[in-house]
Amino acid sequence: MPRVTARGLGGPAGAILAAAALAAALLLPSVAGTYYIRVVTGIFMFGMLASGWNIVGGYTGYPDFGAAAFIGIGAYTTGILMSRVHLPFAAALPAGGILSIAAAVAMGSVLLRLRGHYFAVATLGFMIVLQQLASNLDVTGGGSGMNLPPVRSFTTFYYWMLAGLVVAVAVGFVLPRSRVGYAIAAIRENQDAAQVLGISPLPYKVLAYATSAFFFGIGGGIYAYWFTFIDPPTVFNIDFTIQAVVMTIFGGPGTAFGPLAGAVILKSLDVVLTNISIFLHNVFFGALVCLLVIFAPRGLAEIFQARGGLIEAIRTEVRENRI
Amino acid sequence: MSAAAQIALQNAINGLLIGGTYATVAVGFSLVWGILNVINIAHGALVMLGAYVTYWLFTLYHIDPLLSLPLTGALLFALGYPLQRIVINQVVRASFFITFLLTFGLELLITNLALAAWTADIRSVTTSYSGWSVALGPIALPVVRIVSLLIALLTAAALQLVMTRTRLGGAIRATASDQEAARLMGIPIAHVYALTFAIAAATAGIAGSLISLSFPIFPAMGAGYTLIAFVTCVLGGLGSVPGALLGGLLLGLLQTYAASWLGPNFDNIIAFSVLILVLLVRPAGLLGRAQRFRG
Repeated sequence: MPRVTARGLGGPAGAILAAAALAAALLLPSVAGTYYIRVVTGIFMFGMLASGWNIVGGYTGYPDFGAAAFIGIGAYTTGILMSRVHLPFAAALPAGGILSIAAAVAMGSVLLRLRGHYFAVATLGFMIVLQQLASNLDVTGGGSGMNLPPVRSFTTFYYWMLAGLVVAVAVGFVLPRSRVGYAIAAIRENQDAAQVLGISPLPYKVLAYATSAFFFGIGGGIYAYWFTFIDPPTVFNIDFTIQAVVMTIFGGPGTAFGPLAGAVILKSLDVVLTNISIFLHNVFFGALVCLLVIFAPRGLAEIFQARGGLIEAIRTEVRENRI
Repeated sequence: MSAAAQIALQNAINGLLIGGTYATVAVGFSLVWGILNVINIAHGALVMLGAYVTYWLFTLYHIDPLLSLPLTGALLFALGYPLQRIVINQVVRASFFITFLLTFGLELLITNLALAAWTADIRSVTTSYSGWSVALGPIALPVVRIVSLLIALLTAAALQLVMTRTRLGGAIRATASDQEAARLMGIPIAHVYALTFAIAAATAGIAGSLISLSFPIFPAMGAGYTLIAFVTCVLGGLGSVPGALLGGLLLGLLQTYAASWLGPNFDNIIAFSVLILVLLVRPAGLLGRAQRFRG
């Protein structure tokens, strides 16, 4: 599935395939039971997160290890506006997205000046700080968390997540074909050269970071209302980040449909594993990360497309990186 | 002595005492970062393993934590060597993102295996001398913390001696400064990398032992210590033992003073603010040489 969609969507066959998939997704709630709707909602959520992470981590090459910070910002903004200000969900959710953008612009203009390791750990630290802040503030309910108003229909979340996912994938599709996308690719490949060509890197990096943050904020907001209870460790949770990163790498970073494909495959596998054992889920993700970066650091798509067969492609990857 | 001065002095003592432990946490992290150019996110997980080794030796076999210290170090050394030789060496030449992600995966793996084996229960090592403290005028000096600081200083001194006075240290530094030249000189790079990581793991184990004496132990404790190690390295300057020591003591002082002004629940916020400030003002750290940090 990833190969077909990733290769063919430029042409009419791809467009038909995408339309068919979307139509199937829209019709699914009328045929599937509640359990499957919940599972698929989760897949949509991680498809959106991975596609969002791909914008900053894949296209721009800035690995944001604190992306869950924006899950928390979106979740708490939505939660506070709904339960304390009594706004409807449709008004509270965009506020969470906008606040995520604002936070990303503010933090990004500082953090995106850092390179490599420093950026990665600084973003991770940013998330840990927000988690601690949420545990200390009154408006968030502190460590005991907060409840959101109860929900009537779970299908609502299905459509909200689907809408977010479609926008995230669309952005991932349009971006590399736009002027901004070229600038971002130039920054990723060689920032100094890009600068010489007259591209000022910081605004583009902030734009990518904020766009990515928006999808995490929206994802967090929907998640909060969906689960109706949030507390600092569940939303400012490194697990969201790591899953988005792994799905992106698995499917192919810097491609429009790779992250979604990664999310569909890995989340389905994850659901099966979680049904077997709750511990297995994280152990599995840990092991998967290790195996993936050793044997296929550029994603499975690259391995499958390589000439000379699967084994040879994996051998080349390993030979290049080891000592 | 006025009450305010007394509190300030007590804070300074407490800060230096905890700073010694931070330095022990950071010194191995700094070594791996400086020599292997790997940000070892699993470093905190190794600290956690060290703490649990101490805990189980104490609880099951009644071996005193201070006596089991060399054993903990040796066990972590034995774990660290194959971890680098077999696993991390596979990707050590890849971009930082790949090595970063690999150690991230290892952290996830170790922490969750620990969670499955030992549950999320918060444990502590309480020895007969845990509550002892020496009164120095109006200042209280907890015995366990003083011993921790001494061990931290000894560990740092020993590591500095190994790095500057032995053939192994020479080989490690040669590998760090020019890998190809070192290889041509007949230095077995893969072995040197594995030894470097093993030494770092041993210091992480020792740090875990020291932490188990005064702080709670649980499987997820590692992440916070990885952050502390990172901040300490950035503060003191990368890849140098004196830098890690200075950075650790400074961070300990800063956090202790901040805790007495703001309350105890702001430690990560303080550490992070220090990190960002240093990265923007003096990215090479206090004792480091200038490099490219910005992008």
